[in-house]
Amino acid sequence: MSVWEIVELARHQDRPYSLDYIRRLAPDFVELHGDRLSADDPALVGGVGTWHGRTTIFLGHQKGRSLKERVARNWGMMHPEGYRKALRLAHHAAKFGFPIVSLIDTPGAYPGAGAEERGIAAAIAHAIMDWFRIPVPIVAAVIGEGGSGGALGMGVADRVIMLENSIYSVASPEAAASIVWRDNTRKVEAAEQLQLTSREILAMGVVEEVVPEPQGSASADHDAAARSLDEALYRNLQPLLEQTATQLLQHRYDRFRYIDSLIQAEPHFGPKID
Amino acid sequence: MIAETHRDEVAIQGGALPEILLPTNCPGCGIALVMDNLRAHNYVCTECGHHFRLGADVWISLIADNGSWQERWSDVRSHDLLNWTVPKPYQETVERLLEDGLNESVRTGTCTLSGRPIWLATFDFGFVGGTLSIVAGERLARGMEQAAASGIPYILVSASGGARMQEGVLALMQLAKVNAAVGRLHSARVPYFSILTDPTFGGTAASLALVADINIAEPGAAIGFTGPRVIKQATYADLPPGFQSAEFQLAHGQVDMVLPRTELRPLLAQLLEMYA
Repeated sequence: MSVWEIVELARHQDRPYSLDYIRRLAPDFVELHGDRLSADDPALVGGVGTWHGRTTIFLGHQKGRSLKERVARNWGMMHPEGYRKALRLAHHAAKFGFPIVSLIDTPGAYPGAGAEERGIAAAIAHAIMDWFRIPVPIVAAVIGEGGSGGALGMGVADRVIMLENSIYSVASPEAAASIVWRDNTRKVEAAEQLQLTSREILAMGVVEEVVPEPQGSASADHDAAARSLDEALYRNLQPLLEQTATQLLQHRYDRFRYIDSLIQAEPHFGPKID
Repeated sequence: MIAETHRDEVAIQGGALPEILLPTNCPGCGIALVMDNLRAHNYVCTECGHHFRLGADVWISLIADNGSWQERWSDVRSHDLLNWTVPKPYQETVERLLEDGLNESVRTGTCTLSGRPIWLATFDFGFVGGTLSIVAGERLARGMEQAAASGIPYILVSASGGARMQEGVLALMQLAKVNAAVGRLHSARVPYFSILTDPTFGGTAASLALVADINIAEPGAAIGFTGPRVIKQATYADLPPGFQSAEFQLAHGQVDMVLPRTELRPLLAQLLEMYA
């Protein structure tokens, strides 16, 4: 399979979206809305459900299938209100000691004028910083597209895993082509250069695990894909439940502080910290 | 009795600024530029107030007391981990820039400002567009950790296109790495002042540049998340004049002030005293 075919699988409209997984993981899921400041971002769903007998906060980028739904969900591209909603629910989880599951599936944060006017950069920056202070276990999974800061804003977790045919990238292939070559039609080339497939991301040490998808990809069998994701997420959560808040936060810090340690181990990277 | 810092007694630059490449005429007002006048005026046009972009070496001379700069981790080098080859090999680009005397997109170290010790980090737009790279993230995080541990205030000057595409997802991860370290500064109650210069975009705006205790933008600086070209390609929107300017960000609550460069150093000296 070519890199671009994987990108297309990751974006396929039959692929299970966050709510398809969340409703299978926690059939009693109750959606909670709003950032308590000004709005509710439909590109990010959040709520509470029972998962393996434990009340859990679920968050996930949500795309739509019909044109109407895609527009309503803004193609899974969050506005500042979405990050503020996510952090509100993270503090909610912290109050009750609920673990958090975050499902990532976005081309990126919304690249529009309204998002800029309402401080999308600062919203993502504060989200990334605040995730390091949430004293409950967080497991994240890239289930489709993990695009840029828009994805990372929901991806600071104690464990991050990826479905086999998902992608994770510093920018969408189109945006990267636009930035590097000023030509967003060179997306295929950009995708190949970016090394954004799950195997490549795993090899760089950025995620803990690649979750196999059913025959014919997750699109072919939502139930089987949800079972695989459920098993992998829960297996990654379990050791976290035994850690104290202090341990969790220190390990989360170290996870990202030394996430490039495979590169730093190169002899010409420079001295270790003195 | 504590001696107060009077802003008008603080020099607008810590030492003589290195010469930079200048056009013959000011792009703001068209007057003929005189190097010595501009150098003494922090490379701000004396006629129209146009702020010229400065490299890391100029910023260090501008902010640090003369002779106080001690650079750290300058030997940390970037690495072509993705084997990026188009439009040209990334390793070649980096080596050419190193030969030109630039040392990555972020330089960091300690110095004094009006006699007070600070950590200073400054982006260099001349090095692959000031992009946040693994080396940049490493220098930033190490400095912030040391500042947090020692209680020394941290000052950042940003000029950056965002995360470095050629380092892929590991460049993206630097946003988390540096913001985790910013969190340490905040928990340690260490003052963190961020100066946003032209341009500050993408992953740099969406990480350390906008989460300081005080965000200071330079007049006319372009600041935002998505660049105007990508916004136009994605949404076909016409962007109004002044969109994503420092003044726009002030009006939208993202920065504390828009401050001329000639007033920066005296203000920083005053803030360092107030937050000491």
